Amino acid sequence: MTKLQWGLAIIVAMALMVVLVLALCRHLMGLARAIDRLSATTGVAANWLILLACLVSAGNAFARYLGFGSSNAWLEMQWYMFAGMVLFGASHTLRVNEHVRVDLIYGMVEDKTRHWIDLLGGVVFLMPMCILMIYFSWPWFIASWEVNEASNNAGGLLRWPVKLMIPVGFTFLLLQGLSEIIKRAAAIKGFYVHEYAYEKPLQ
Amino acid sequence: MITTISQNLGPVMFGALVLFLLIGYPAGFSLAAVGLFFGFIAIEFGIIDPSFLGAIPFQLFSILSNDLLLAIPFFTFMGAILERCGLAEDLLDSIGQLFGSIPGGLSYAVIFVGAILGAITGTVAASVIAMGVISLPVMMRYGYNMQHATGVIAASGTITQLIPPSLVLVVLADVMGKSVGDMYAGAIGPSIVQVSLFCVWVAILSYLKPHHVPALPPEARTLRGKALAWKCIRGIVPSAALIFLVLGTIFMGLATPTEAGAMGAVGSLALAAMYRTLTWKLCYQGMSSTMRLTAMVAFILIGARIFSLIFQGVGGGLWIEHLLTQLPGGREGFLIFSMVFVFFIAFFLDFFEIAFIIVPLLTPAAEKLGIDLIWFGLLICANIQTSFMHPPFGFALFYLRGIAPPEVKSRDIYLGSIPWIVLQLILVGLMIVWPEMVTYWLDKPVQIDPAAIQQRMNDLTPPGLSAPGGGSMPPLDLNAPPKL
Repeated sequence: MTKLQWGLAIIVAMALMVVLVLALCRHLMGLARAIDRLSATTGVAANWLILLACLVSAGNAFARYLGFGSSNAWLEMQWYMFAGMVLFGASHTLRVNEHVRVDLIYGMVEDKTRHWIDLLGGVVFLMPMCILMIYFSWPWFIASWEVNEASNNAGGLLRWPVKLMIPVGFTFLLLQGLSEIIKRAAAIKGFYVHEYAYEKPLQ
Repeated sequence: MITTISQNLGPVMFGALVLFLLIGYPAGFSLAAVGLFFGFIAIEFGIIDPSFLGAIPFQLFSILSNDLLLAIPFFTFMGAILERCGLAEDLLDSIGQLFGSIPGGLSYAVIFVGAILGAITGTVAASVIAMGVISLPVMMRYGYNMQHATGVIAASGTITQLIPPSLVLVVLADVMGKSVGDMYAGAIGPSIVQVSLFCVWVAILSYLKPHHVPALPPEARTLRGKALAWKCIRGIVPSAALIFLVLGTIFMGLATPTEAGAMGAVGSLALAAMYRTLTWKLCYQGMSSTMRLTAMVAFILIGARIFSLIFQGVGGGLWIEHLLTQLPGGREGFLIFSMVFVFFIAFFLDFFEIAFIIVPLLTPAAEKLGIDLIWFGLLICANIQTSFMHPPFGFALFYLRGIAPPEVKSRDIYLGSIPWIVLQLILVGLMIVWPEMVTYWLDKPVQIDPAAIQQRMNDLTPPGLSAPGGGSMPPLDLNAPPKL
């Protein structure tokens, strides 16, 4: 296939997906709910990582004051946990609709238009982005896994688990994106009321 | 047509970014999608190499392994705990009684408590909610002007953004590649000036319109003498301990900002336990809201990195830098343009979007024009403060609306914020004409004399070698096989 044909095929696939989801959304709601439960679970894990990372970081700093020294393993564990919060928490954050938007237009339009924006945005922006990210980061993880890559720092941790987290996290996000698409389609069809209206995240 | 597009892919990409963001889909995902889409187009046009996109995992990894970004969850978590632990209540109660007898006394108390809370934590919510719940009813009961009361509370809540340890400054330091410690040191001067500006405004108001800011009648000041002193100590001692734990350790070089944030969070948990307000529900709510904010911010950053990777690849960065350095008025022109631009863009983008999308575009031009980046970062920080006070991202106003009694009209809250926004803009102006406000607190850069270094280099003689050109090395015979 030429590149032009590839491009056309992708556009057709996206359009087909919108049509299919709109047609089948009633039957897909079970799937959407199952994905929501999965995201809620990973979200709980990410919540715990906040507290754990806090305790590890503070404990590490304290140990250093008291002259116990600190180890690279503890330092690296902190950002492993940061990676965990971000990658496992993003899908839950998407579920509760807290990814920030520029709502100059979004804030003015009615609910139905918002559902359409979310449906099309999910198909055109989010899904391809996640698929590409998985595509780019998977071989990167495999390369690390095959050599059993470890940190260059003395006493550092194995590197491949955190590299595995990237494709896994984007898979969760991809699934949640699918769930959102199904729910938005259902909302457009009028048999589902979306529970998380968009509110600006508070800082 | 095609060649025109391919030669101007930078501007086209920038236009597409604006368009895609305006649609209203979550910004992080839109940014990443624009970046990837144009990445494929640029490969197709032969502008960038296909291997370019292979750098994306490295970009992702560098975000996730950035130790400094961990300060975002830590400071947010700390703020979430402090918000409801009862410290702000004690502070306001005692300082309000202390200043109550002078006109505008409650306003001064709110400003000082805002500054103290600002020095403890790095987020806005904590101070505004606490101050609104406690001070607003008191101010209303004793006849404070409604617009003034809501304005001073919202404004004092936003002081947090400038006073170290501010989350805004951590993020700006990271984006600009500067040290957080320097950013914090530079922020000391502007913070003092801002608090003074606010106080001066209250003083002017109490002279011009004393009925807007009446003194508390004696029967309202229930605490006196020892009881008042005890209450003050109860509020101020734990605050001082927390300030030391966070700011002290950073300035003394004992802890990184990230570690200081973690210790502050643990410290505020301990404080909440001391005040007997620590419940598992409070803690878990804090964890949960912190996690959502962290994931949201990290995804804006991921999107922005992917976007800028491709944007730099197609030459967009150079295009922007060229535009900005060619502005009429050179350095001053650039400063004025960027300040006005940031002020207005803050109506459309929230702080993290500005920091991750706009600031990286401005920084190279600022550097090229010889502008001190610490100073520039603090200007942006002081400028962005206003965006917490005006719609649509005026968090301070939303918080206030959320907790204000129904007789407070939204109109009062919005109108009341105007004088304070003007005061913050005056601060930006003062910082521009008087950069010493920032640089005074920074360590003086070490003066380097290139000639002296050259001399030192010449003086260095490697051991075992005679003077340069002495030829003490044995000649190499390339034809002979190496002797083993």
